Amino acid sequence: MLITGIKSKPVYAPLHADARGRYHLMLGHGAGGVALLRVLKELEETAPAALGATRVLYLPRPMIGNASASVAITPESGAADAPADPLAELEALALAELKLFASVPELLTDFRALLERSLMGTRLYVAGPESFIGLAMKIALEFNLNKDEIRAEELGSLARRVYCIHCRATAEEVRTNIVRCGGCGRWLLVRDHYSRRLAAYMGVMADAEAPGELPEIREVFV
Amino acid sequence: MSDAQTLAVEVKAIEAVTPLIKHFTLAAIDGGALPAFSGGSHIVVVMKGATRVHRNPYSLLSSPRELDTYEIGVRRMEESRGGSHYMHDAVKVGSRIEIAHPVNLFALDKIARKHLLMAGGVGITPFMAMLEDLHGGAVPYELHYSVRAPEHAAFLPRLEAREAGRVRMYYDSENQAIDFEGLLSRQPLGTHVYVCGPAAMINRVIATAQHCGWSDSHIHSEQFSAPPVGDAFDVFLARSGLKVHVPHDQSLMESIEAAGVEVPYLCRGGVCGFCLTKVLELDGELVHNDHYLSEAERAKGKHIMPCVSRARCRHLVLDL
Repeated sequence: MLITGIKSKPVYAPLHADARGRYHLMLGHGAGGVALLRVLKELEETAPAALGATRVLYLPRPMIGNASASVAITPESGAADAPADPLAELEALALAELKLFASVPELLTDFRALLERSLMGTRLYVAGPESFIGLAMKIALEFNLNKDEIRAEELGSLARRVYCIHCRATAEEVRTNIVRCGGCGRWLLVRDHYSRRLAAYMGVMADAEAPGELPEIREVFV
Repeated sequence: MSDAQTLAVEVKAIEAVTPLIKHFTLAAIDGGALPAFSGGSHIVVVMKGATRVHRNPYSLLSSPRELDTYEIGVRRMEESRGGSHYMHDAVKVGSRIEIAHPVNLFALDKIARKHLLMAGGVGITPFMAMLEDLHGGAVPYELHYSVRAPEHAAFLPRLEAREAGRVRMYYDSENQAIDFEGLLSRQPLGTHVYVCGPAAMINRVIATAQHCGWSDSHIHSEQFSAPPVGDAFDVFLARSGLKVHVPHDQSLMESIEAAGVEVPYLCRGGVCGFCLTKVLELDGELVHNDHYLSEAERAKGKHIMPCVSRARCRHLVLDL
């Protein structure tokens, strides 16, 4: 099958604290807040002073009214004893900074500014939907953060960013195996072939050999 | 690498640049271009002495863009087993010597956002070529160069002419020391540190960087160990069916080579891992002197790096 068994597909693992770092920078999106909270609790136990060198940028979504009122936690995302509202617990920790955001672009703008003034010795933790992790990793790569400085846990949606290899348009929030390119109108097959530089999976024309003949379109990235 | 793949070069110039370091300029005998290399590369010089063959690694310090000649710096080692003394005393202008092709085990990270270079003594040599690669580029860099006293600062005029403002000198004689913690605790994200010098300096830089939270992928070091002397012992080579005596002042690799068996090598300094050899039988203990095998691998005792490591044993069989 064309879309499986590809090595570039990112692999994620549950986040754990890396106390060898001197500074900790954490990005969370929605249910990712639960994973960050778990890492922060680990740090609090093993190296309490590290919390004072930890900055958290968090996008609690969906936000309804007051920011702390509602944080969506998907049922399968965390352990049974996961807190219903990680935000309240995050706010209770003695962090160097906890900053809340209403959108991914705003969070990433602040993230970039923070990297500009960060020092060697920083560890990056990212928790949230796969497309959010990808966009954060793309920026981290520009700052030459290596694999041994970054940890990521996928929590939430598996919806993909898909790059059309024909017209170079990128589609967001793709949930189906086949998607129509918003740039050139071609039907694209979504592969597991992933570009860290583009933070997107590759989409290739699905009916190039037999125009109009498409596999069944199914929701696979949910 | 083996001797079949060496190049013959002629010594074009020799200059004593410090009381202990001689600077050699080498050119291809046919006058043609030498193989290309990148900053941080070394060559192995094959020295055919009266009683034995020495093969020592030396960093290339000339510009990677000028391939008419290679330049190396050789420090006279107090406890030399002969290699550095041979280069200092027996090699003259016009001498012909054999060298192995350049190999780079100490390369610059191509996507670093800043390079922090730290040299101790003759450890300056790989940085001379790296600086040629970095000069004029967009990525910032700085060199911290520590020597025992001003007369020991090899290649300083060349550095001052090209790298003014990017080189900071430290003289032990003036009680000046590199502030490792101060430097390593305030580097921007994406910095890589490179250290070459005495073992104590290398260990200090690695430990301080880790203490400052640096991840290993940003820490680079190179130290070629001269093969240490030790007790004499015998080794049996299973595939060749040979018994070889290893004298106290000759390395295991040199002894095997002297018996006519080629061991593949790149660095001969315990760094690259190329000469990794299986230990088939052992009654005694291995003396690991390399920088390649992990603690766990050493504990298993199944492999040895014959370029620098030895054994204290009654019986040793290698898969050679």
